[in-house]
Amino acid sequence: MTLIVLFICTCFIQGGCTEDPSHLRKPYEDGVLRVNLGTEPPGLDWHTSTDSTSFDVVSNLMVGLTQYTNELEAKPACAASWEVLDGGKRYLFHLRRDVFWTDGKPVTAYDFEFAWRRLLAPETAAQYAFFLYDIVGARAFNTGESKDVNTVGLKALDPYTFEVKLAKPAAYFIYLTAFCPSFPQRKDIVERYKDRWTEPENLVTNGPFKLSRWQHEYKIELVANEKFFEGAPKLKRIKMFMVPEASTAFALYENNELDFVDNRSFSTPDVERFRHSPQYKNFPLLRAYYLAFNVSKKPFDNPDVRRAFALSIDRKVFPKILRRGERPTSSWIPPALGGGGSDSGLGFNPEEGRRLLARAGYPDGKGFPETKLLYPNREDVRLVVEATQDEIKRNLGVRVELVNQEWKVYLATTRKDPPQMFRDSWGADFPDPETFMNLFTSYNGNNHTRWHSADYDHLIEAAEGEQDRTKRAELYRRADVMLCREAVPIVPAYLATQNIMVKPWVKGIAINPLDFQFFKTVTVGDTAAGEVSTAP
Amino acid sequence: MIFPILKRLFMAVPVLLIVASLTFLLVRIVPGGPFDSEKSLPPEIVANLNAKYHLDKPVHEQYVLYIGRLCRGDLGVSYKYVNRTVNDILFDAFPVSCQLGFVALFLSVAFGVPLGAVAALGRGGRQDFLAMFVSTLGVSVPGFVIGAGLIYIFAIQLKLLPVGLWESPWHVILPAVTLAFSPGAYLARLTRASVLEIVEKDWVRTARSKGLSYQATVLRHILRNSLIPVVTVLGPLTAIVITGSFVVEYIYAIPGMGRFFITAVMNRDYDLILGTTLVFALLLVIANTFVDVAYQLLDPRMRMNAED
Amino acid sequence: MSEKRKSALQRLSKIPTAMVGLFIILSICLVALLSGLGIELTPFAYDQTTTSYLAGPSLEHPMGTDELGRDLLSRVIYGARLSISIGLTTALTAFLIGSVYGAIAGFAGSKIDGLMMRGVDIAYSLPDLLVMILAGVLLGRGTTGILIALGLVSWMGTARLVRGQFLQLKNEEFIEAAYAQGQSSVNVILKHLLPNALGPIIVALTFTVPSAILSESTLSFIGLGLSPPACSWGTLASDGWRSLRAHPHLIFFPSLFIFLTVLSFNFLGDGLRDALDPRTRLDKFKGGSGH
Repeated sequence: MTLIVLFICTCFIQGGCTEDPSHLRKPYEDGVLRVNLGTEPPGLDWHTSTDSTSFDVVSNLMVGLTQYTNELEAKPACAASWEVLDGGKRYLFHLRRDVFWTDGKPVTAYDFEFAWRRLLAPETAAQYAFFLYDIVGARAFNTGESKDVNTVGLKALDPYTFEVKLAKPAAYFIYLTAFCPSFPQRKDIVERYKDRWTEPENLVTNGPFKLSRWQHEYKIELVANEKFFEGAPKLKRIKMFMVPEASTAFALYENNELDFVDNRSFSTPDVERFRHSPQYKNFPLLRAYYLAFNVSKKPFDNPDVRRAFALSIDRKVFPKILRRGERPTSSWIPPALGGGGSDSGLGFNPEEGRRLLARAGYPDGKGFPETKLLYPNREDVRLVVEATQDEIKRNLGVRVELVNQEWKVYLATTRKDPPQMFRDSWGADFPDPETFMNLFTSYNGNNHTRWHSADYDHLIEAAEGEQDRTKRAELYRRADVMLCREAVPIVPAYLATQNIMVKPWVKGIAINPLDFQFFKTVTVGDTAAGEVSTAP
Repeated sequence: MIFPILKRLFMAVPVLLIVASLTFLLVRIVPGGPFDSEKSLPPEIVANLNAKYHLDKPVHEQYVLYIGRLCRGDLGVSYKYVNRTVNDILFDAFPVSCQLGFVALFLSVAFGVPLGAVAALGRGGRQDFLAMFVSTLGVSVPGFVIGAGLIYIFAIQLKLLPVGLWESPWHVILPAVTLAFSPGAYLARLTRASVLEIVEKDWVRTARSKGLSYQATVLRHILRNSLIPVVTVLGPLTAIVITGSFVVEYIYAIPGMGRFFITAVMNRDYDLILGTTLVFALLLVIANTFVDVAYQLLDPRMRMNAED
Repeated sequence: MSEKRKSALQRLSKIPTAMVGLFIILSICLVALLSGLGIELTPFAYDQTTTSYLAGPSLEHPMGTDELGRDLLSRVIYGARLSISIGLTTALTAFLIGSVYGAIAGFAGSKIDGLMMRGVDIAYSLPDLLVMILAGVLLGRGTTGILIALGLVSWMGTARLVRGQFLQLKNEEFIEAAYAQGQSSVNVILKHLLPNALGPIIVALTFTVPSAILSESTLSFIGLGLSPPACSWGTLASDGWRSLRAHPHLIFFPSLFIFLTVLSFNFLGDGLRDALDPRTRLDKFKGGSGH
């Protein structure tokens, strides 16, 4: 009987396979790119979504006033040109006349005016509304202090001229116009379809691709927009799957069911296995990981203790255990940005660390109070904190207890009452040191260290308004030294990288440090024929 | 026949209400809120968000609002999947889990019950040992290990079946087999125990002594009667299997209910958690009611104490 | 009574699978206990300075090393301690909550019973994972949190079982006799009802242990298991899952031990059931049929 059961079982499986046509096909389809988003984009309304997954989709559907080059310069898109007036406090955008929505209507300044006002309207409850807080009256309108939308300093002067007035000069402002929350929206569409305007049958866009199908928690399909102002993209179609488990996604890639995978679809051992494959590439990202102190808690109210800890961690261990080409760093501004690249922070020097710890009253870690290190429950983070714990133990003789919390609980704890140490990270919103340095001002809601310094705040404010590039970089560098060498509320650990694998039949994939993936120049097919071996 | 069914379903209303209330309370006790994220928001924006979803009101008012909406069949909106109602999400996800679940259920019954019967009838012998070994294997390995093994053998090494995704009927096979393992093994063990028990009953012996052949006894009396406990567990089993398994849906990238449920819990997507929990509870009630009906069909004597 | 139990044990000792199961369980428990007493069973507990990250099995590291260079055998032994204690404690919790709840329901009968059984229905209607995740999040991911979470979802079966047994036994002659002798209700429950219902309860508990071990591994897979550096077989196996292709030893050994333990408990449970319930004898039925 068991044999019969087994026999039926085999027949079932065998029967299933002999008819499977997938072997007869080419391993890819010409002009179709299959990628993995990892998770469902929470929404495609670029005002209310906040996460990189949503932006991965939106940045292929839409263009804003400007767009990023792969070198992260903001180059003209919907705006043919712009003027910076009144010492950096007024921007005048002149729009192109040949940019059209997918339903044939031209993209006008009114679409921007509507979109930006909607982003700021309290009813929209947009998380990225703070992006426009530099604009005159924007904060007051968003918080409901002012009910009059005309008090906000943005206006369509005519269909092709858009004016923005800032409360104070902000050197990084032009970058914001290349980022998803600032993209235009169509008043008639949003108002007609209400909550459903982002569904494929309703959505109207202006970018290289159009949304054609959205199976939630499974797949999004984009098709080429033939009328895109730069000319139709080379791809016919993009299938974006949502495969949450990295090992599954990677197996799909190996079985030629995906054409391109990145960090989301990679487990570390797979990176290891394919490190030398020509399909593998590694790109630096503007995403930094750091260890933070709660400076209001003993004994970390003493800067000597904080410095001792910073000196005791050999950051070279991180790329060794994470093995994705992470770059150890001791300063907070990444090297690619103005003010970065110099050695602003404290490097590895255990002797000096022990000396400082002894000076603080804990020779060889004796009598050091019980210390907790909080971290969220993620695999890579676990490895990092376990290694950090080991470094501190070995170099300072201090035993740190690891406390692990589920993601949301961790977020709530760091906000309310973090323990003496916690692990955190920050990804850049735009390619400017401001996005990193503003984080530790006394008024930034994401500064959980309880460290406040009026001097630091002044430096940052001065840098924000400075129009001269070199002077600006110098101001940020001084702030970075204060942050990482003098006061040390944080210990920068490493900068993350993006690891990708691309099938040989795919050309033109480029990754920029902000991790935006633009597919408009990608091609699939015509270069390789037949099965390509994927073995390492 | 209809009346007791209706009565049972009616009795389930307070149970469902308590389940809803309990879940409502539980998810709000747990620390962390739906709008906590890595980049924390200015308090003004959090206030706007809370106001939009009525989360600024006291808990008891939220509760009254929720139950009110529930009575109108509105399960609320998702905070994470912007602009999607819970009804929308469940309407998309449930059929997927349902398809997968029924295939798995079919497989587990088709393999589990015969396996158990074979084991029982050859008790103590080699076929018993083999059958029980196979079925214990099914309950002794975590689902994710089985999934990994199946993907490795059939998708990666043999390249016979797809690794994952939900595109064609071929894509159902591996996940369904993975999902069927544990209930199948459970059913096999249950069937074995139940057959062994029936075999001992006096009337079986009577049937035998009356000269009925071995095979006839087995088919006509033992199997039919030993199916009763099997049918009993089939109720909750169906509910569990068709509401989706997070592990299986996650491994094979299938857009089913299990995946939504776990992500909802992780995201503190209050209404979505409640919605999926209620669907699960409701299915459990319905499945159990069906079981009662099947019970009575299989064994008319049961009608007397159908209450239990 | 004791006679009955003795003969049951005798019968148990004649069931080879059950004895093999018992042997494996006892040896794993022994190893876990020894490591719990601080006796280092392998020399290479934590060796980050070596270059042996992710080494395969060798003489030095019989099960290989993990991504931080730790010896997997030591981790598995350490994991045995947690996995086994999680299994046993959960079974104990299930037994305590379940039998008290079931005893009250079964003993009280009628209205209270009906009400209490609705309570069990409700507990069943809450998805296990929801309860476990929420309890885990609320109580932290230490061992206690996981234990309470697992206990919360595993008492209902025992409660139903105990209640059923009590309902059945309540009307037996010896119970009525006890009452006639003037014994109190508590006395009757503890001295007469519970001991007589114990057989099936023990069998059920033998199956609770492995299911708790499996539930814990599923929790770990979702990422809500024990928090490191504590590790159980579940956390080890789910960590290993991610490197299945490149380093299969990381998933193989922990899974093997989960499998062995769960299998053993199942064999033992089956054996116990057969031993305690001598009525089920197929050979009698088949006897002389010439089959």
